[in-house]
Amino acid sequence: MKRNRAFSFALTAPSMVLLALLTVFPLAFTVYFSFTNLNMIKPDQMKVVALKNYVRIFSDPYFLQALGNTLKFMVCAVVIETVLGLLIATFVHNLTRWQKFVRTFLLTPMILPPVTAVLIWRIMLSNNYGIINKLLEAFSIQPVAWLNEVRTAFWCILLIDVWQYTPFAFLLLYASLQGVAKQQYEAAQIDGAGTVAQFFFITLPNISGGILLVVLMRAIDSIRLFDKVNILTRGGPANSTATITQYIYNYGVGSFKIGYSSAGSVIMTLIVLLISAAYLTRTFGTGR
Amino acid sequence: MKKSLVILLVWAMVFCVVFGAVSAQETLTVAARGGSHVDAMNAVKEAFEAEHGVKVEILGLESADLKQKIGLDSINEVGELDLVMVDDPWMPEFGENGILANLTELGYETDDDFTPNSLALGRVPYGVGDQYALPFSGNVILFFYNKSLFEKYGVSEAPTDWAAVLEIAKKVSEGGEIGYVIRGTQGDPIVADFLPLLWAFGGGVFDDNFNVTINSEEAKAALELYIELLANGVNYEKNDIVAAVSDGKAAMSLGWPSWYISGETASAAYAPIPGKIDADAERNNAGMIGNWLLGITANSGKKELALEFLKFVTSAESQKTGALNGGVPTRRSVLTDPELTEKYAYFPTLLEATLESVARPRTPLWGEVQTALGAELSAAISGVKTVEEALAVAQSQIEMIME
Repeated sequence: MKRNRAFSFALTAPSMVLLALLTVFPLAFTVYFSFTNLNMIKPDQMKVVALKNYVRIFSDPYFLQALGNTLKFMVCAVVIETVLGLLIATFVHNLTRWQKFVRTFLLTPMILPPVTAVLIWRIMLSNNYGIINKLLEAFSIQPVAWLNEVRTAFWCILLIDVWQYTPFAFLLLYASLQGVAKQQYEAAQIDGAGTVAQFFFITLPNISGGILLVVLMRAIDSIRLFDKVNILTRGGPANSTATITQYIYNYGVGSFKIGYSSAGSVIMTLIVLLISAAYLTRTFGTGR
Repeated sequence: MKKSLVILLVWAMVFCVVFGAVSAQETLTVAARGGSHVDAMNAVKEAFEAEHGVKVEILGLESADLKQKIGLDSINEVGELDLVMVDDPWMPEFGENGILANLTELGYETDDDFTPNSLALGRVPYGVGDQYALPFSGNVILFFYNKSLFEKYGVSEAPTDWAAVLEIAKKVSEGGEIGYVIRGTQGDPIVADFLPLLWAFGGGVFDDNFNVTINSEEAKAALELYIELLANGVNYEKNDIVAAVSDGKAAMSLGWPSWYISGETASAAYAPIPGKIDADAERNNAGMIGNWLLGITANSGKKELALEFLKFVTSAESQKTGALNGGVPTRRSVLTDPELTEKYAYFPTLLEATLESVARPRTPLWGEVQTALGAELSAAISGVKTVEEALAVAQSQIEMIME
């Protein structure tokens, strides 16, 4: 028994060391630095400042606005992408022809490098020569400054995210649907269950693990939203698209303030952990 | 067996000699802003390499990456980078924190051929201290306008005051076209677009003692005018501004010359930025200077050689060759060189504007100040806050940053 344990330990040790080097140490240092005034270009002047960074960050209205925007974005993106992904996955799963082609075609936005995708959208949304405004003009509708107006900028960024990451939700949910036993549907049909009843009482319970995974992964990813905002709006107009990562970048990393940006990063990590708690409890809490 | 061993040893020796010689060649590493700056440097570096038997390696980086790389390398005892390009607003931060070597102490003697305003950007403290960096690439925001639209609306020459700009914008707007284009994207675009107006109105973000003065009557008047210009125009990002003014869709905007003028032709007419509120007002300097400087890192192991390269790459001869490869000179003699002005007619205007230019406030915290100011200006032009509210919040936020 002891030999077995030693053998298991020997096998897992390299992964544990790697995990410690890549995850635990950086996280521990980030937490430590968040209680200091460390400036990257003045490391010799580092002092422990206790909770000063956290007090300042929570008293900054720009951070609170960025936090609100990030949570709003996360909720909207996760709900829309999961629901759309589920609808598309169900549709493709039930296709009798062209299934492979549609599946490949739908994945195209996800394959594009994120910056390239954002730049393509910037050209399409251009106020002056963008195709979207040209189409509006063709119907005698006044062009819209999509990324420069408070009422549209946030939703444009959300739209781009939905376009880019719904295929991810589709892919995971489509894979889950493939695993649902056909006999269950056959039995339900014999019992007289309609399509809607089959969807709610057979499909959904069977793929709930997949849905939870999509929600978790998209929630974590959308909290880190940065590239779209930085390239398209820089947080504007009027901070309506500012996010936590962009705040950390503008007020911390860009000015070499590692202590301050570490505090922002710790807050962000805690939010992600809070969101992941449900999934982690479900996955590890029951011993699965 | 012995034979093979001897052959192996001989080849190993040859290998060591060849690769030893290659690695023995000295290399100067320059971290530069990617794009035309790198092209301009590459166009002249061969002559220096041949003369000094050295290899000059130029790393072209995006602006934010460049700043991070310089910061990270500065904490090494001996740096990987020997020379670095520095955007002029970074100078106070880099100068005060000992990232750059003191060129004056290294024996550099000031060269009066550089425009004084450009040279002042590389001094620590600003304008009066020792030289820490030399102006590599020059730029000043100019006033751009479309001549055919001006002719169409009976405007004969570029306006010299902001009341005239507004009047023209209104006239063009009433005619159904775009009078004025603001660059109102939050962050540095809106700040760079608004500061010339603020300066023309006699205002500023700080006074001479670095007290915050953004919540002033001058700033209020300038921001109100800015919003009125927007009411007679549109809010575009850079590429849209250039296309709209160049194609005659919009009448006027502010911008960096490099956007509008690529190669030998200017697609829009240009003039220095109006420095007066109206025809009777006092004239203030309002053109924002934006230079890329080149300095030697304080932890470079090859400072003397780096200084030679710095002098070489910023010499009149190199700047002339660089200008033909997309560079923008910072020396009077090059900006007035007849051969170049024939090709680049805007060089004399650029020189005139540089001599009257204003630098962004010299504080190591400018990056954060700009972010806060940009957010409030954006809120004001979007109508989310009134002019008074936006300026009051900007004042308190900047005061908090400067604490």
